[in-house]
Amino acid sequence: MGCLLPQSPHCWQWATFARSWFLIDARMQPPGKIASMCSVRLQGKHKPIYHPLSDIGDHVVVMNTRHIAFSGNKWEQKVYSSHTGYPGSFKQLTAAQMHKKDPTAIIKLAVYGMLPKNLTRRTMMQRLHLFPDDVLPEDILKNLTEELPQPREIPRKLSEYTQEERNAFPMLWTPPEDYRMK
Amino acid sequence: MSLLGMFWNQTVCLLQHFRGRKNRCYSLAVRAVRRAFVYASKARKAKRRSMRQLWIQRVAAASREQHMKYPALIHNLLKCSVALNRRVLCDLSITEPRSFQSLTALAHARRTEGLRAALGDGAEPPGVFSRITQLQ
Repeated sequence: MGCLLPQSPHCWQWATFARSWFLIDARMQPPGKIASMCSVRLQGKHKPIYHPLSDIGDHVVVMNTRHIAFSGNKWEQKVYSSHTGYPGSFKQLTAAQMHKKDPTAIIKLAVYGMLPKNLTRRTMMQRLHLFPDDVLPEDILKNLTEELPQPREIPRKLSEYTQEERNAFPMLWTPPEDYRMK
Repeated sequence: MSLLGMFWNQTVCLLQHFRGRKNRCYSLAVRAVRRAFVYASKARKAKRRSMRQLWIQRVAAASREQHMKYPALIHNLLKCSVALNRRVLCDLSITEPRSFQSLTALAHARRTEGLRAALGDGAEPPGVFSRITQLQ
């Protein structure tokens, strides 16, 4: 992004109050960590001029929410419950079912739970933009200012290691001659 | 010299913004004014707390911009005997960003010195600070 930095001190003062657009790639990332990064930036807590009443949060665009990676067995064990208030309408969905129904719902609920529980929460949620794949609409692409680094380092699959690296890895034990590998 | 008149003369400027009959009717107004005074007294104490909380949040945000966490910053500035309080740190972080950057660099240097001294073999580190510094 070739943006021109403002030169005069008056423009610096104006630029500190500008609203930036952050991009996060959620591929192979834990949704909780993504959500905490989003909530910090939506509230404006990453700025030294923070005040809870001043509405200085930024926009956050999360892409590839379909390729989120829960650790452990959370896809089967984490349950999202909802009740509309009418009798018999208590619904419980596992994370896998929720994700299949709506690929952006997990991150949306996570961020909603991490924002402060006051009236500004809805406006902050409106500034959060979630996309299941990395196809972003043009008007959002034009607004993006910064991409944030991913919180989790993606480990490489065995197939992504070259044969030389595999040979260079130290042997933990030498199997005997007549050992049969499965 | 009626007490009623005295009350209205003294408090009419205070209760103009009250809702409903509390801004007009004596019995309701008396109760509302007393509550307002009590809230104001409690808030004068709470204001100091909330201001400190705001300074801490701002200093934490600014130090995270410089890749350092707030507890590490404060502890290491303390170890360097830099006695800047949170109010001043907050103002520096907003109006003097470069000074704040140099303070975080100082704290970071002190921190790495401390870690190396704790984990190392006891040799003198080739830095600015001596690990034998004692706080007065």
